[in-house]
Amino acid sequence: MATGRQRHLSAEDLEAILGVTSRLAAPFDLATMLAEVVDAAKQVLKADRGSVWLYDAAHDELVLEIGTGLAAVRIPAGTGIVGACARTRVPINVPDCYADPRFDRGMDRATGYRTRCMLTLPLVDHRDALVGVMQVLNKAGGSFDRDDEDLATALAAQCAVALQRARLTDALIESERMRQELEMAREVQMSTLPSTMPVVPGYDVHGFSRPAEQTGGDTFDLMATDRGLVVVLGDATGHGIAPALSVTQMQAMLRMAFRLGADLPTAFRNVNDQLAATLPEDRFITAFIGVLEPRSHRFEFHSGGQGPILHLSVRGACTSHRPTSFPLGAMPLGKLRPAVVLDLQPGDVVALITDGVYEYQDAAGECYGEARVKAIARSHGARPMSELAARILADVEAFAGGAPQLDDVTMVLVARAPATDVRRFPRRVDALPDLVAFTGAFFERHGVDSTLLSNVDFAIEELFTNMVKYSLPGGAEVEVALARIAGGVEVALTDYDVEPFNLTRAPDADVTLPIGERRPGGLGIHLTRRLVEGLDYQYAAERREARITFRKTAAAADADGAGEA
Amino acid sequence: MLTIEAGEEGVVALKGRLDAAQAANAQATLDKVQGTVTLDLAGLDYISSAGLGVLLKTQKRLMAAGGKVRLAGVGPHLRDIFVYSGFDQLFEIEAVK
Repeated sequence: MATGRQRHLSAEDLEAILGVTSRLAAPFDLATMLAEVVDAAKQVLKADRGSVWLYDAAHDELVLEIGTGLAAVRIPAGTGIVGACARTRVPINVPDCYADPRFDRGMDRATGYRTRCMLTLPLVDHRDALVGVMQVLNKAGGSFDRDDEDLATALAAQCAVALQRARLTDALIESERMRQELEMAREVQMSTLPSTMPVVPGYDVHGFSRPAEQTGGDTFDLMATDRGLVVVLGDATGHGIAPALSVTQMQAMLRMAFRLGADLPTAFRNVNDQLAATLPEDRFITAFIGVLEPRSHRFEFHSGGQGPILHLSVRGACTSHRPTSFPLGAMPLGKLRPAVVLDLQPGDVVALITDGVYEYQDAAGECYGEARVKAIARSHGARPMSELAARILADVEAFAGGAPQLDDVTMVLVARAPATDVRRFPRRVDALPDLVAFTGAFFERHGVDSTLLSNVDFAIEELFTNMVKYSLPGGAEVEVALARIAGGVEVALTDYDVEPFNLTRAPDADVTLPIGERRPGGLGIHLTRRLVEGLDYQYAAERREARITFRKTAAAADADGAGEA
Repeated sequence: MLTIEAGEEGVVALKGRLDAAQAANAQATLDKVQGTVTLDLAGLDYISSAGLGVLLKTQKRLMAAGGKVRLAGVGPHLRDIFVYSGFDQLFEIEAVK
C-alpha cells in the first residue's frame, strides 16, 4: 500500500510521467485516449500489457473495450480484483497471480497468455469521481514493487483526468449532434408553413406555429384553391426529425391532391391510405382538413383524430366538434363518415388548436385546458385573428408561469367578417332620434342582447354630441358603423375633416365634489368609459379623420356586475 | 321622445328618453317647479349626460331656495349612471317599488 509513505520519484520516472502527461493533454476522442493511457502505463511501469476498465455509473458496472467490432466485456463493480479495486479505490498489487485465489485464470485460458504479476489501480479524477480501473501485467524482469505502486498512483491520477475529459467531450459532441438534428427538423418543419396568410374576401384567417425545444411535428396550411380555402392543421406523433418529415410529407400530398382537383373525401382518403402504407407502424398524424367556400360560407371538414374543433357563434354558443375519423396513417380507411359541414354566420370563429396549447402544463402539472381557450375566444373573438392568437399565446404563457414548452403550439383561426350596418348622420343634435332608431333596429335584426342597448345608445350619444359641439358647422356627416360581435356589438364613429382631439383621454370628472361645485361638463366621457369596453381613439392625419371605437358585450357586463357585488 | 307630466302634489313624472335632443325642453319645464319635488323616473327609459345636466341645474336652484329634488322609480340603467357619476351622493334616490 502506498498510503502514508513518502517516496521521491526518480528524475527518470518524473520525466516519463511528464512526457505522458503532455501527450494526454491532446484532444483525443475516448477510444484514442484509452489506447494512449494504456501505452503510457506500459511504458512508465515497464509492463508487458495493460488495460483500462471504464466505470459505468448508471449500471454500476466496469466495461472493457476489447477492440473495434467486438462486444465490450462488462462486470459488476465489486467482482474480482478489478471490481475490488473499484470499490476500495486503493491499488492492488498481486506479485504471483497463480498463487492468489482472487485471480481469474479464465482470461489466460481464453487468450493463451500467461499472467505472472499484476498491478491494479483505481482511476479517480480531480473531483473524486471514479472513472475506471487501470491494470498492468507482467513487469519486465520481475514483479511490481512499492516504488512501482507510487509511480503508478501518480500516473493514474493523470490518466483519470484525461479520460474523464475525453468522456465528457464525447458526451458533448453527441448532444451537439442531437441538437443539430433537432435544429434541422425544425427548419424542415417551419419551411413548409405559409409565410403569408391568404386573402379571403369576407374572412380573416390566421395561422401560427411555434415548435418546442424538442421539436414535435405540428404543421398548418392555408391554401387558396378552385374549391375554396383549404385549411389544414396537423400534429405527427413523436419528437425529432421523423415527425417533422411525416407532416411535411402529408402537407405535400394534400397540396398535390387539391391542386389536381380532388374533393375533400377523396383527398382525405387517399392521403390517409398513402400515409398508412409509408409511415412506420407506430406512427400517425392527427389532422384537420377542411375546405371553406367563402361565397356560400360552407366550411366542410374531416378530422383524423384532431380535436376539439371549436366553433364560436356571435350569439354566444360554442360548439366543440369531434373528429370524424381515426388519425391519418394509422391504418387504411374503410368506411368514411360524411364530412361535417359548418354553415358559418357573420362573426363566427372556428378555432383549430393543437394539444400543445390544451395540454400545456404549469409547474404543478395542471393542463391549460379547453375552457380557458373558449373564454378568450369569447372575449376576443371580434378582434383580428392575429390578435386572438397572440392573446391565447400570452394567456398560455401567463398560465405556465415559466414552465417550459414541451410540445409544438399551433393554431389556425378562421373568422367570418361580422354583420355590419353603416350609416351617416348629419352633424346636428336633432339627428339623435334617427341614430337611436338605427341602433335599435340593428339590435333587433341581429339578436343583440337588448339589455345592452341603453349603454350603447348612451356612449354613441355622448361621442356624437361631442363631435357636433367641437367641429366646424357645415362639415361632413358623422359615420356610425355597428358590427355584431360575440356577445354584443362593436361601434365605430368616424368624424371627417377635423383636427385631432383625443376625447377618450379627457380627465375623469370629480364625482365626489359637493353639489355647489359640480358641473355637468366632462361627465359624458367619464360615464362612457365606465359603461362600455375598449374605448379607443384613432386619428388619420392624411385624411383628417377621427375615429372612436368601443364594444359592449354581455360577458363584460356580467363581469362588471360580479366586480361590484 | 320625452313627456313630462305634473302628477299629485310635488310629483313630476318623466317618461321616454332624456337625451341631448330633449334636454332644452326638459330644462324649460323643470325651471318652473318649486319647493321639494319628486321626479318619478319609472317611465324614463334612458338618460344621457345632457339629461344629468338638467337634473343638476334643477337641484341647485331648488336647494338654494330651501327645497330639493328627490328621484323615484330608478331602474337599473339609470341607477348605474347615477352611481358612476356620483349623482347618488347629490340626490335622494328611491329604487323602483
